[in-house]
Amino acid sequence: MTSHSNLAAVAALVLGTSLAAPVLAQPTAVTLEGDVKVVHEVVENGKTRETLDEPNQVLPGDRLVFTTHYRNAGDKPVTDFVVTNPLPAPVKLSQTGAFEVSVDGGKSYGPLAALKATGADGKPRAAELGDVTHVRWRLASIAPGASGDITYFAEVR
Amino acid sequence: MNTGARHLKSLLPALLALPFAVPAAAAGVAAGSLIENTASATYTANAATQTVDSNTVALKVDELLDVAVASQESGAVSATTTAVLRFKITNTGNGPETFTLTANPAVGGNAFNATVLGLAIDTNGNGVYDAGIDTDLANGAVSPSLAADEPLAVLVRVSIPAAAPPNALSKVELTAAATTGAGAPGTLFAGAGVSGGDAVVGASGATHTADATLTVTKAVVTLTKSATVADPFGGARPVPAATITYRIVAEVTGTGTVTGLTVNDAIPAGTTYQPGTLTLEGAALTDAADADAGQGSASAIAVQLGDLAAGAQRTVTFKVKIN
Repeated sequence: MTSHSNLAAVAALVLGTSLAAPVLAQPTAVTLEGDVKVVHEVVENGKTRETLDEPNQVLPGDRLVFTTHYRNAGDKPVTDFVVTNPLPAPVKLSQTGAFEVSVDGGKSYGPLAALKATGADGKPRAAELGDVTHVRWRLASIAPGASGDITYFAEVR
Repeated sequence: MNTGARHLKSLLPALLALPFAVPAAAAGVAAGSLIENTASATYTANAATQTVDSNTVALKVDELLDVAVASQESGAVSATTTAVLRFKITNTGNGPETFTLTANPAVGGNAFNATVLGLAIDTNGNGVYDAGIDTDLANGAVSPSLAADEPLAVLVRVSIPAAAPPNALSKVELTAAATTGAGAPGTLFAGAGVSGGDAVVGASGATHTADATLTVTKAVVTLTKSATVADPFGGARPVPAATITYRIVAEVTGTGTVTGLTVNDAIPAGTTYQPGTLTLEGAALTDAADADAGQGSASAIAVQLGDLAAGAQRTVTFKVKIN
């Protein structure tokens, strides 16, 4: 997986973008390919290990891993690469990761620990994994031909 | 039940309205729900902002088979001849399911076994069996389909055998088993779930049993008859002209009250009733059918003891002479 944690570089790249003439109807250079697997725990020789299986069967409580494979198929770097993934309603995020999350339907993003949600009593409370509505990855740039996977784990509610 | 289409429509409002509206039952997302995931990206290429969506990956949630049965009785249910035991069945799975309902009155440790007359769905929810209103089910019949999380009030109607002693306890079990199948958790019934998905046995094994206890409330009458012989010679030999004093003790045990109790006894052949010897609790009764409780005649005596509560005891005596 390519690095996608260099968030600080994003601002610099935005400022440093060259003022090339606008190009219209440029073919899409980046492709996204989604996949999902079910995470199963297998005990072998007394050790538990996780396997990723085809989701032939999905039940409440199952843990899923959603993967998006991205690739810059163009011959130039792309910048300010932001991938947004609304969580399907039937799942809840099961762990945080190298991504930002939103608990307000994608209006605002941040680390989960910094976000607030509204509790059953109508008062603000610390946001929890189950509150997450969107996850978002930000990569400063993708070199031509470069590719990688971004993933999140979620549990079927 | 196919909730997939409904789910898709609900996704958009869910993004706007928080907290997330999820079609989740206690057992989880409804069977047949679709989980669809699409990522989208924006990026800058050649100084222009571009967007791209991923393909959408879609999963269908399979059906989890689970059930819970609970007695709705807080203690032992008193019964004399019949009783109704209240249970609640809950579909704790995530899809609509029917359940085979079986009442078992022969539970280990029972002092007696009740007879199951039948089951009924407590249609009006009043906890009482209302013939003609509540839906009768044969023992072993299949319930109506219950949606995920839906409860069903089930009445088990039993009769108490006449031989059941007072205060005896007896358990009656009710078992609900998913008709799609039951078994060890994880057992798979391929294609048997909602909208063609699989059905998988959940933690309950897709079958569950609960019991309720009956206690017999009834009064039992015990009659004990004894005889004392007095011969004309001061002895106790049953010879002609000897007098036999019969003593009948009526004892009521158990719980409750017996009503309209009458003690009848025929005068034995070869003996002659001695008029005016009938007593109740030591007090003389006239032989005539009149205001007092007793009647005596050459053929029989009768004493009306009336209503007696458990614990009461009455003694009747009368005398005959051996011919």
